[in-house]
Amino acid sequence: MKRFPLAILIAAFCVFLAWSVALRQALLFLVGIGLGAVLAGARFGFTTGWRRLIEQRDPSGVLAQLVLLAVAAAVSMPLLAAYPTDLGAALGPPSISLLVGAFVFGACMQVADGCGSGTLYKAGLGIPLNMAILPVFAIGSFLGSATLDRWLALGAMPPYGLVTHFGAPVALLLTLAGLALVGFGVVRWSGRSAPLWNRKLLWGAVLLAALAVLNLVIAGQPWGIVYGFGLWAAKIAAAAHLFDPSANPFWSEPVNAATLAQSVFLDVTSITNIGILAGALWIAAGKPAAAAKPMNGTQWAVGLVAGLLLGYSSRLAFGCNIGAMVSGISTGSLHGWIWVPMAFLGSLIGVRVRRHYAF
Amino acid sequence: MHFRFLAAAFWIVLAGFFAWDWTHSAPVNVRTEPPLIAAGSGVAPSGGHCASTF
Repeated sequence: MKRFPLAILIAAFCVFLAWSVALRQALLFLVGIGLGAVLAGARFGFTTGWRRLIEQRDPSGVLAQLVLLAVAAAVSMPLLAAYPTDLGAALGPPSISLLVGAFVFGACMQVADGCGSGTLYKAGLGIPLNMAILPVFAIGSFLGSATLDRWLALGAMPPYGLVTHFGAPVALLLTLAGLALVGFGVVRWSGRSAPLWNRKLLWGAVLLAALAVLNLVIAGQPWGIVYGFGLWAAKIAAAAHLFDPSANPFWSEPVNAATLAQSVFLDVTSITNIGILAGALWIAAGKPAAAAKPMNGTQWAVGLVAGLLLGYSSRLAFGCNIGAMVSGISTGSLHGWIWVPMAFLGSLIGVRVRRHYAF
Repeated sequence: MHFRFLAAAFWIVLAGFFAWDWTHSAPVNVRTEPPLIAAGSGVAPSGGHCASTF
C-alpha cells in the first residue's frame, strides 16, 4: 500500500478513537505511531544491539540503549516524584519468576530475532517470521499471565521503587551511575573494535525516550507491550470457552477483569501496540519490499517455539525489553536492573542457538 | 509471493479480531472517558501493565 492512502486510513482510525472511544486513546495511538516509525525507521533493535555486542563486539547499539534509558529516567523520575498519585512506575517484584523469565526471554529473543518491540515493528514492516510469531507470542503471554500465581508462589519480594525509597534526585543519580557503569563495561568489552556511536541509533534513542515519557504523562503508566498481547489471547480463549477468567487469580483481579470485559481500544498497551504496527507499516510503505530470506521447516518451527516462549517468559519476567528494561529502569524499579543481566545471560545462549539453526 | 499472502492474512486477521472485539465487548461509555493527560489530573492510573502482579 502507498503511504498516502495508508495515512488516510490511519487518520480515520485516529478520528474513530477520538470520537467513539476516548481522546486519550487517540493521543496514545499517535504516540504508538511515533514509536513504531522511530523503531522501524532507525532500525532500533534491542535484540540486534545485544547480538552485535556479543558477536562482533560492536557497542553502538547497546550504548544507544543506555542513552535512551538515561534520557527517559532523567525526565520520568522527577515527574513520578511531582505527580505521585497520577503517575505510576513499572514496578515488578524481584522473584524466582523474574530470574527464570528474563533468562528465557533473553535467549528466545535472539532466536526469534525480536523482543517485544522488535516483534511488533518487524511484523509491521512485513517480515514473515515476526508476523507469524506475533500470534504465538500473544498465546504465550496469555499462558504466562494465567500461571503467574504459581510462579510467584516459588518466592517473591515486594516491588522496590527507587523514587519512592530515595526520592527523585538520588534515584536518578543511582540510575545514571548504574548506566555509566554498564557503559564503561561495554566499551571495555568492545575493545574499541567498532565505532562507539551510531548517529541514527542515537537519534532513535532520544526520540524513543521522548515518546516513552509522553506515554507516561498521557496514560499515567509507563510504556508496555506484552500485557496487551496477553489480553488479546485471553479475550479469544474466554470467548471460545477454553478458559474461565473468574477462576483464574490473575484475570479475576478487578483491573484485569474490567480490561477483559471492555474493548481493547480502551487498553493503554493495546492501543500503543496497534500504533507501533501502524507506524512501522507506514515506514515500510515508503520503501520497496525487501526480499525475505527463505527459511526451512526446522527454522520456522524453532522460531515459532521461541515466539511462544517469548510471550510466556515476558509475563514471568514482568515485562519484556520495554516493560521491564526501558520502563522499569527509567522509572526506578529494581526489577529492571535484575532483568537486564539475566536476559543478557540468556542472550549468550540464544545467539549460539541462532547460529546452530543458521538463522 | 506467499509472503505477500502471509502479510495480507496477517492484517486481515488482526483487523478482523479488532472488529470482533469491538462488537462483542461492553459498549464504551464516552461520558466516563479517562483524562486526556494523566499528569496533573488527580486520577490514579487504572490500566493493566506488564510489570504488575495483578
